[in-house]
Amino acid sequence: MESDVGAATGRQQPRGKARSGNKGVNLGRFAPIVHHPMPATLEISESLIRENISHAVINVFETMLRCPISLCDPMESWPPPSTSASAEPQIVGAVGFLGDVNGLIYLYFQSSFAANCTGKMLGLDKREVEAGGATVVNDAIGEITNMIVGNFKNCLCDAGLPCKLTVPSILRGMDLKINATGHSIRYSFLFDAEGQHLVADIIMKGDQ
Amino acid sequence: MRTKILTVDDSKTVRMIVRKVFKPYDCEILEAGDGAEGLTVAAGSPPDLILLDVTMPVMDGVEMLTKLKADPRLKAIPVLMLTAEGGRDHVLKIAKIGIRDYIIKPFKDEVLIEKAKRIVELKPFAESAPKAHSSLDPLEILVVEDKPAIVQLIQDGLKHTSWKIHGVSTLSAATEFCSGVKPDLVLVSLLLPGEAAFNLFRTLRAGAETKQTPILGLIVRTETAVRETALKMGFTDIVTKPIDMAALEARMAKLMNLDMSSRYFEAQKDVLVIKLPEVRGSAVLAEAGNYMKGKLAESVDNGIGKAIVDLQHVKSLEMELLQFLVHTRQACVDLGLLIAFVGNAVIISECKGFEDTRSWSFYESMDDAKSGLNKTTQDSRQVAAV
Repeated sequence: MESDVGAATGRQQPRGKARSGNKGVNLGRFAPIVHHPMPATLEISESLIRENISHAVINVFETMLRCPISLCDPMESWPPPSTSASAEPQIVGAVGFLGDVNGLIYLYFQSSFAANCTGKMLGLDKREVEAGGATVVNDAIGEITNMIVGNFKNCLCDAGLPCKLTVPSILRGMDLKINATGHSIRYSFLFDAEGQHLVADIIMKGDQ
Repeated sequence: MRTKILTVDDSKTVRMIVRKVFKPYDCEILEAGDGAEGLTVAAGSPPDLILLDVTMPVMDGVEMLTKLKADPRLKAIPVLMLTAEGGRDHVLKIAKIGIRDYIIKPFKDEVLIEKAKRIVELKPFAESAPKAHSSLDPLEILVVEDKPAIVQLIQDGLKHTSWKIHGVSTLSAATEFCSGVKPDLVLVSLLLPGEAAFNLFRTLRAGAETKQTPILGLIVRTETAVRETALKMGFTDIVTKPIDMAALEARMAKLMNLDMSSRYFEAQKDVLVIKLPEVRGSAVLAEAGNYMKGKLAESVDNGIGKAIVDLQHVKSLEMELLQFLVHTRQACVDLGLLIAFVGNAVIISECKGFEDTRSWSFYESMDDAKSGLNKTTQDSRQVAAV
């Protein structure tokens, strides 16, 4: 499954202008993190993005799920051995932010990890989560994404870049590949939660 | 008087978390999925507190808050924002419209409770819950349903209980009944003509005697929109047709705060008998399981050292029952209770087919089991004496 990023931000860039190296993240293979030089117009440093997303993910997981999670070292081997060979479906939560800064954040969960997070968040056991079906998991992952992106963008607001959240959406499928279009920069961060992995894929839109 | 809290959030997850957080307190939780729905619910059944999200489809939280504060009937309702939108400027802008407090997601349960307590009174359930009824009390159950076959099905399905099942088919008949008898629980068809179910709900909630009466909506599984409306309005629960009578009975018993343990556990001199009824299902096993730990511990405390699981009336061995039996056996072993099983030919045969139960011994009657356990006790005493 392949999907183009941009529409959710409301400022889709003309196609064919993707930056060099903007290859998207194929979670089926867990492609390596691609770091790009920051354009001057965005004025947001990579370290600020790293710090903000790390704080947001850890805060939400520890507060709502009581689950320890940590940002993996960028030098850590990639793809993670526990997921690379997995044919498990993925569930991806997406929430955008619009305003003086525009972007979109995708959070990639393996389906078993998503179910696990749902159970922890709602106080349900595995059987109850299964009985609730995809709707319950989708809604929980949507809310986790909403909280994480909310935390992330609140830091941007407080840094003088006011913006608002979009409503969450969910992607489900095998071997998902999401491409960024237009003038945008992508950052990917891998998190480890007791052996299960979460990828935060951040797409910052540049000036028109 | 129960504290009424309205949670307005497009995320069902957040609404479920709010329900979970306030569960230990005597609260009625109303739900709405967006601002427009929130205004409708607040107008229909004014809450003591509104928990309001910001980013929602149809009507966002800022618009709802603005409209709420512009409505003379609703503007006094305190609002606590519960949202992921937390930039300083944004919070200040919303604060100017008029809110009591602001919680930025993610949030800890205790923070939500603490902030809510500053606005409304929250009484723990233990202080406010009425004394538990016994399963033998003749409780009054009102069934409001215009299909006689459904009323009959419910009456037949519950005839083994001591409950009085009263069937009526219209709103006026239900209202008249409630004016004379305070029902302990109401079951009402959500598809009665003229939104009668919703009108009955409002009438009962407005009455001093019936404002806490559990009200269950009856509906076919496919009517999801009506079901959602009822839940958001504050119906205690929804029962889908076709009705699983065993599950309904267990649910009703729980909602009426009944002690149903006597259905499953009976102390007979020095033996605790654990009985499983012929009509079972996951709800029945769950209900029996809920009492298990307490009843076994109580028996040991009272000097009972033996337990007999009576499966004579059970017709087949499903996986859930198998797990229940394994769990029961282990719980008895952990507490040092001697355990024996009494089963019929089918159960004995089916237990031989599972690894966990293959080696279990069964007795064919309660008397045999009691004798067997007595013999085991005497033998162990003799071994100890030697």
